[in-house]
Amino acid sequence: MTDLVYNEMLKIIRKKRLFIIAAITAVLVALFTYAQFKHVQDVQKRLGTADWRTQLQQQIIDTQNRLNSSGIDEEWRKFLQIRLQQQQYYLDHNINPSAPGAPTFMRTFVENAIDLFLPLMVMVVVADLVSSEASGGTIKLLLTRPIKRWKILLSKYIAMLLSISFIVLSLVCLSWLISGAVFGYGGWNLPLLTGFTIQGEELNTANVHLISQWKYLLMELGLAWFVAVVVGTLTFMLSVLIRSTAAVMGVMLAALISGAILANMVSSWESAKYFFMVNLRLTDYISGTAPPINGMTLGFSMSVLAVWGIAALLVAFFVFVKRDVY
Amino acid sequence: MTQTLVVEDLRKKIGRKTIIKGLSFSLKKGEVFGFLGPNGAGKTTTIRMLVGLIKPSAGRITICGYDLQRQFTKAIRHIGCIVENPELYPYLTGWENLEHFARMLPDISKERITEVVKLVGLQNRIHDRVRTYSLGMRQRLGIAQALLGKPSVLILDEPTNGLDPIGIREMREFIRFLAEKEGLSVLVSSHLLSEIQLMCDRVAILSKGSIIRIDTVDRLLKEQARVVWKVEPLEQAKKQLESETVILSAQADTLITYYEKEKLAAWNERLVQAGVKVSQMEPKLPTLEDLFIELTGGETID
Amino acid sequence: MVKVIAVLSIIAGGCWLFGLGLTVYDQFFQPTASLSTHYRAEETTDEDHRLQIVAIGDSLTRGTGDETGKGYVGYVLDELRTKTKQPIQLTNLAIKGQVSEQLLQQLQQNEVQRQLKQADFVFMTIGGNDLFQGGETLQNLSAEYINRIKSVYLRHLDAIFRTIRSVNPHAVVFYIGLYNPFNQLDHAETTSAIVRQWNYDSAEVAARYPHIIAVPTYDLFELHVNDYLYSDQFHPNKEGYKLIGERLSSLITFTKEGKK
Repeated sequence: MTDLVYNEMLKIIRKKRLFIIAAITAVLVALFTYAQFKHVQDVQKRLGTADWRTQLQQQIIDTQNRLNSSGIDEEWRKFLQIRLQQQQYYLDHNINPSAPGAPTFMRTFVENAIDLFLPLMVMVVVADLVSSEASGGTIKLLLTRPIKRWKILLSKYIAMLLSISFIVLSLVCLSWLISGAVFGYGGWNLPLLTGFTIQGEELNTANVHLISQWKYLLMELGLAWFVAVVVGTLTFMLSVLIRSTAAVMGVMLAALISGAILANMVSSWESAKYFFMVNLRLTDYISGTAPPINGMTLGFSMSVLAVWGIAALLVAFFVFVKRDVY
Repeated sequence: MTQTLVVEDLRKKIGRKTIIKGLSFSLKKGEVFGFLGPNGAGKTTTIRMLVGLIKPSAGRITICGYDLQRQFTKAIRHIGCIVENPELYPYLTGWENLEHFARMLPDISKERITEVVKLVGLQNRIHDRVRTYSLGMRQRLGIAQALLGKPSVLILDEPTNGLDPIGIREMREFIRFLAEKEGLSVLVSSHLLSEIQLMCDRVAILSKGSIIRIDTVDRLLKEQARVVWKVEPLEQAKKQLESETVILSAQADTLITYYEKEKLAAWNERLVQAGVKVSQMEPKLPTLEDLFIELTGGETID
Repeated sequence: MVKVIAVLSIIAGGCWLFGLGLTVYDQFFQPTASLSTHYRAEETTDEDHRLQIVAIGDSLTRGTGDETGKGYVGYVLDELRTKTKQPIQLTNLAIKGQVSEQLLQQLQQNEVQRQLKQADFVFMTIGGNDLFQGGETLQNLSAEYINRIKSVYLRHLDAIFRTIRSVNPHAVVFYIGLYNPFNQLDHAETTSAIVRQWNYDSAEVAARYPHIIAVPTYDLFELHVNDYLYSDQFHPNKEGYKLIGERLSSLITFTKEGKK
């Protein structure tokens, strides 16, 4: 098995996919770092102070003013209200949720990458994992070895898991290195709040507790990895089912993008919460942002994703083992 | 064990259509076995069943005593194959490709890889990317890959497809070499008769999913030999020869009969004695082409 | 190469799996931890060299109606910057539609109090929404009704001033009075009388505390009120805010040591 996984890793690496992903990540991180830097400067200039409490207070006031504007969308109002309560909670407990530093940047980056950027990067690697063997004809050589088919597919799946771990790792390393150059490399022990639960329009703070930023970040990365694995597994299944890598990419892209759109629209369509793509923003639950559909919780979303992932894996293995190869 | 590959009543149904209708044949050690048929006769489907890519609907495939269905890994261990084109990973070097496949077989040493590389004569280019290889080189690398695990049966689907004439000859010689010197059973499929004629010991003729004939190439050819007579008068000659052999056709001044070397002189003598003028008597050794057309009832081969 | 990446990936994978486990533990199985261990952070040192201005109140302080978004606060700031080289920090805590009761609540917040404590000047508008009641008052101009809402308002106002003074005894508070946006409409006489009385009573409350200055605006809008009103006929427009800004900035002068 080790040999098989080695083979698959060799192929992934020699296709240079992982490096392309690292390069894209580096460019984007640099871009976001600069944007963030500009934003911080701008806020400081506007408020004439670097004191985060003043800035946060100002944000709260801005939010309150927006809430008092007429013609504000009900959904948006709810979202703002929850954010407001959370900001107020941070302020009351004298905790700065956005103290500058590489770890804070990484946290924001992971939170924003989890539903689109990270899945996209995963797709780049996974989409052609099986389909390229089919379209390149090499599948015939793979399947005429004295190795059972499920083992071959399993080796590919393990290679996928390793690649995803590597992608997340490179995301972490690159964002730390690049953003640290601007914001400083410290800030690992900054206390953060988690455990917010949302009930209707109210933010329930009964379970709120403090954890260090490094721990918080580790949790977010765990969730990001989980999301990436589920998206990877779905792509993997499509890669088994469809010979054309482009078609695999197309289907997954459509699903992911529709997820982003749906998340903004589906609040009234309750059963949409069983789609995997509206459940990707797992980090929102630990930071306490309102979910797109009422009643969605971390446990719910993780279960939905897990069910999708397991189903996809079963389909992939069943089809791969049974299928006639022409 | 003299029989390395045994196929019994192999069938494949896709939907309601039966594509392969009960094939049975076997390969002996050290022989080159030809699989001849027009495109769509079921050659590729059969070969894919032999290497486990397609599951047969019925029938049995035994390789070196192991059932391919039930003991897949043990059975497939003895097979080396190229199915259609030699498709390898273009972004890896030839050597990496071989290493890649070696890792999928039990106990293949570096020496063995070097050995097969030498065998197919790729020493000079083995560390280049496969992307840069010519088709002939890819074909040879494909064979090197197939030989890695020291198989007893080598299955080659259209091995000369796309090669230039020199490449075709080299390939032919190499296949003969493998069978004669290394003792492999080689199954070669082709839609080119000339090729089969030149390199195979035995041949199976496939048409519409059934085997029409299996025999040695020599016997098939001999059986089909003809004599073309130019005689006058025709009626007289016909009467004389009919009692000796079968007249296959009679047109204008030309008669065609089977060719039987030992009797030819006697037939001629009889004709002459009966007062028939024999102006021409030409033995004609046919090609497999004629044979094929005859066996399949006019189905063309290409 | 392949091996290095594979090993790195395995280690990383272990980390992420651990993180996932941590999340599950933390979010689902963590015993309800109360947030008793407050990080009661150090009081930030007064940024003494700065001139701290805190603006509180309602939409007037927010600047609603001024298309440039500055509001009178912005114009005062512009003016002050020409008078002094001292860096100025503004914290505008005003919320649209706020009434005196809500302002009083807002002033109880830790952070707001912290801001107030550091303030050198406090700008404040309040009462407009108390009086106007979202238009309700225009339907009922009876003295009895007005007196009722006014007494509630004055009680809140007193509490607001008291709170500010207790948090920060030194800051100068500019309490900006009301103008009458309706003085060219029907019942102009009645409404003007009400606003005048309202301002007078409010100024009386302000006078009970030191350094709380009631700044009148009534006169600014008395003539040509429509020239200075935004299209909602209620909030000032840019020109209106400029008038208020000018009046206010004229009250702030700098002595040698930098402060008023």
